[in-house]
Amino acid sequence: MPSISRKMAVIAAIALVSACTPGEAEKPVASPGTEASGTVEFWHFFTDREAKAIDTIVADFKASHPKIDVVVKSGQDDTKMLQAIGAGQGPDIGLSYSTDTVGKFCASGAWLDLEQYIERDGVDLNKLPATVRSYTEFKGRRCAMPFLADTYGFYYNKALLPTPPRTLSELTETAKRLTKRKPDGTIERAGFLPLFGFYEHSPSHLGPAVGAKWLNDDGTSAIGSDPAWLELLEWQKELIDWYGYDKLEKFRASLGDEWSADNAFHKGQIAMMVDGEYRIAFLRDQAKDVKFGTAPLPVSDAHPDWYGGGYVTGNVIGVSKTAKNPEAAWELIRYLTTDTGAIVKLANLIKNVPSTTDALAAPGDLGNDPDFKVFLDIFAHPHTSTTPPSAVGPAYEEAFATYLQKYQAGKGGDPGPGLKDVDKQINQLVQLAG
Amino acid sequence: MTTLAQRRRRDRLTVLSFMAPVLLGLLVFLVYPLVASVYFSFTTFDLVNTPRWVGLRNWEHLLQDANVRTAAANTLWLVAVLVPARMLGALATGMLLARFKRGAGLYRTLFYLPALAPPVAATLAFVFLFKPGTGPVNSLLAEIGIQGPLWFNSPDWAKPSLVLLGLWGVGDLMIIFLAALLDVPKEQYEAASLDGANAAHQFRYVTLPNIAPVVLFAAVTGVIQTLQYFTQAAVAASVASGQATTGGGVSSTFGYPEGSTFTYPLWLYVVGFRYGALGYANTLAVVLFVVAAAVTVVLLRRFRSFL
Amino acid sequence: MRLAFVARHSIAIALGVMFLCPIVFLALTSFMSSDQSLTSNLWPTSWHPGNYVEVFERTPLPRYLLNTALYATGATLFMLLASVPAAYALAKLRWRGRTAVFVAIVCMMMLPPQVTTVPLYLMWANYGLTGSLWPLVLPMLLGDAFSIFLLRQFLLTIPDEYLDAARVDGCGEWRTLLRVVLPMARPGIAAAAMFQFFYAWNDYYGPLLYTSENESAWTLSLGLASFRTLHAVEWNIVSAATLLTMVPIVVVFFFAQKAFVRGVTLTGVKG
Repeated sequence: MPSISRKMAVIAAIALVSACTPGEAEKPVASPGTEASGTVEFWHFFTDREAKAIDTIVADFKASHPKIDVVVKSGQDDTKMLQAIGAGQGPDIGLSYSTDTVGKFCASGAWLDLEQYIERDGVDLNKLPATVRSYTEFKGRRCAMPFLADTYGFYYNKALLPTPPRTLSELTETAKRLTKRKPDGTIERAGFLPLFGFYEHSPSHLGPAVGAKWLNDDGTSAIGSDPAWLELLEWQKELIDWYGYDKLEKFRASLGDEWSADNAFHKGQIAMMVDGEYRIAFLRDQAKDVKFGTAPLPVSDAHPDWYGGGYVTGNVIGVSKTAKNPEAAWELIRYLTTDTGAIVKLANLIKNVPSTTDALAAPGDLGNDPDFKVFLDIFAHPHTSTTPPSAVGPAYEEAFATYLQKYQAGKGGDPGPGLKDVDKQINQLVQLAG
Repeated sequence: MTTLAQRRRRDRLTVLSFMAPVLLGLLVFLVYPLVASVYFSFTTFDLVNTPRWVGLRNWEHLLQDANVRTAAANTLWLVAVLVPARMLGALATGMLLARFKRGAGLYRTLFYLPALAPPVAATLAFVFLFKPGTGPVNSLLAEIGIQGPLWFNSPDWAKPSLVLLGLWGVGDLMIIFLAALLDVPKEQYEAASLDGANAAHQFRYVTLPNIAPVVLFAAVTGVIQTLQYFTQAAVAASVASGQATTGGGVSSTFGYPEGSTFTYPLWLYVVGFRYGALGYANTLAVVLFVVAAAVTVVLLRRFRSFL
Repeated sequence: MRLAFVARHSIAIALGVMFLCPIVFLALTSFMSSDQSLTSNLWPTSWHPGNYVEVFERTPLPRYLLNTALYATGATLFMLLASVPAAYALAKLRWRGRTAVFVAIVCMMMLPPQVTTVPLYLMWANYGLTGSLWPLVLPMLLGDAFSIFLLRQFLLTIPDEYLDAARVDGCGEWRTLLRVVLPMARPGIAAAAMFQFFYAWNDYYGPLLYTSENESAWTLSLGLASFRTLHAVEWNIVSAATLLTMVPIVVVFFFAQKAFVRGVTLTGVKG
């Protein structure tokens, strides 16, 4: 029945057209000194107690900026934000859990370029450590500001070793020494569990040990061309072979959930591990009899002078393209990300690392905690690195992780060509995302 | 006395009165998204800006994407194993419960309970019980002298374990089979046994023909749903790798262990919403649709007598 | 006979216990301290029934319950209104294009929801209905493919002789459907209604997409996902909330499954 199919085609076409979003013209920035006012909607992903912490800081902001009203919505994730913006709606301000979104949101314009506001209001970006600056901008567009940070370093069981290893070979030697096996050969305690994908042992967190680079300046993958990755993989493989991969996997499968009280480090089943600063609170809460120490990440034997750093990442915050009140939105962001008092207060409430140099210099209670102080030092260390933003978000990390799953099982072949293949996959994905 | 033409028109109007909302639904929820999907599959699309036409680039990439091969293989394995397993399980438990008069309600509720639990919590509980070191399944097996496998932590056992998970939740399919089994007229069984048919014959010549339409339904919907199997695999992988998450969180070592639980819809979701390549995600979706349609048409044709 | 009885019940009990185990695990976890949840210690060392109270203190559970009930009931009613007549037309009326439409309906289930939500979300946003449960309930007025397929298969098993008898008596198709067919199709309709109801009750992704920015429209499934801190999930509270979420639908199921027993027995018409 031709007339029906024609009608259906027309309807489908109309529907398609209505599905395309109208482009929003970027609003011009107001002149300096204009006071922002109005209502802004702020979306973030925290829930429960942390959401209350955010509410406290927002209340402080409202007290000092009575003309601005802030509506806070908790528990919103990145996908929701993106869909809302794509539909022409969405919040004025969005807070994202990870830096993965920065590349995507900057490249697509989902978040506004804040450069004009920064220049107009004279915000000194040097107050942000270099790594933090690097993970909040993409291809010259600064579409995000850092909120709070997470720092990853090294934990060791003081009852088993008094001082932590400083180089990878020391780590290997200590790991072997501290490993205990049962009479049937299965592992009872591992000095260090080198499997990628176990708890927080990922190439992102271990990369800084060898100073490995993720991306070239043009955004293509550097995994296959940076010899540092091969160094890391060789080091890891040697340790895995010593344990025996099958025995290691069997041991790993028997360990408790990372976030439960059965965490292997809590129960003394592993003597050393890489983890974030938040682990301190968990240990004090759930494993009071474990004497633990915190330290920077061990580094490559070829560069012992690099010792002192680790890995850093954080939450990021930005203004939506569809914001109804970008001026007031910027005011709130400026407060949350550059006001030292607000940052220190929030960092102490949520027990995260504050992200500006001023806040780091006077971090309140956090600085009095010797275990936590180690992480503050790691954060400020010149050799600490992060995972750079990319137009395809975490694609490069995950493509690498997928290959590593096969590689450490002995099914990935020669790492040289294997990594070059990973490069190819990543570069193709970058192309696909435009 | 109505003319033939008047009667024909009245008949057509009658059918229309029954079908009108659904026909409109086909337009809005099939034609519109399908056309949009096909269109997006030829574009680069990031949800924020208007899609940019790139011709066949997504399709070329699909052909040499190693992840697609892995993901498709896993999904097809699940279709080939999970669907028949669940159908057999549902039939067996349905036949068992069909015999009960007393306590039927209690048993039916017990068997259906897993299907009533929210999928994330249910998967978490099931996988946790099977965890090699901390869960009770392997300890119980050890008591009777069996060395249990690593279940969800073993690349060889992960998918069979997912089948076990699917069998645990077979209650929802069982209910449908039960309703169909209870529909079979008892007289036919009586007549058959009077004719000297034993249990097996009665099953083949009385039960099966009567429940055939429902069996076909189970097969077709089972295939379609398994082609979109996503949440349970993602939750199982995250619990098994020791990082149980709530909500829709997909951890970054998806497909643990060694990519064995990496399904096609998971890759589709990751590529579209984590990596922002929505055009390519639509390409994957169109392929999935075509495969589902092909399998369905084959099934419907082959068993058209039950249509 | 007695042996068969004992055997049947033993198997059923054994299976029942196995089906129950993970639920029991959730129940035990719901009474644990948060430190003990998800550890190898499966029996609570200390009992915390206060977890259940905490669920109510931390989330407006009654409001979520109301929203969930409205969503599930609305979706089920709307689905039945549209799907039962369509299934009847597909099963028992003869018309040109019937098979094609049937296949098209089955095809509705084949597009992965992750991509169909993109154009559909835009559509709902343009109508200003995001932030509510309407985008999830209204589409049911246009039928649900799974339900239509299921209902059709059940209706197929009803012998045509009954319908012919009604038609001969002068009943139009609507009368035939309502007076003659519906009572006989009770098991199928009960099954389809139950499926829709339970699916909506436990639906997480739908409400997440359409209502997450409007907490007053949240359903129980969204509430379940909110018991987490930045780095950890409080599984003991989540388990308590999960069981609370399940209670209403277990009760519904227990009473609804009676509808599967045939009320009207068909006597020797077929074969």
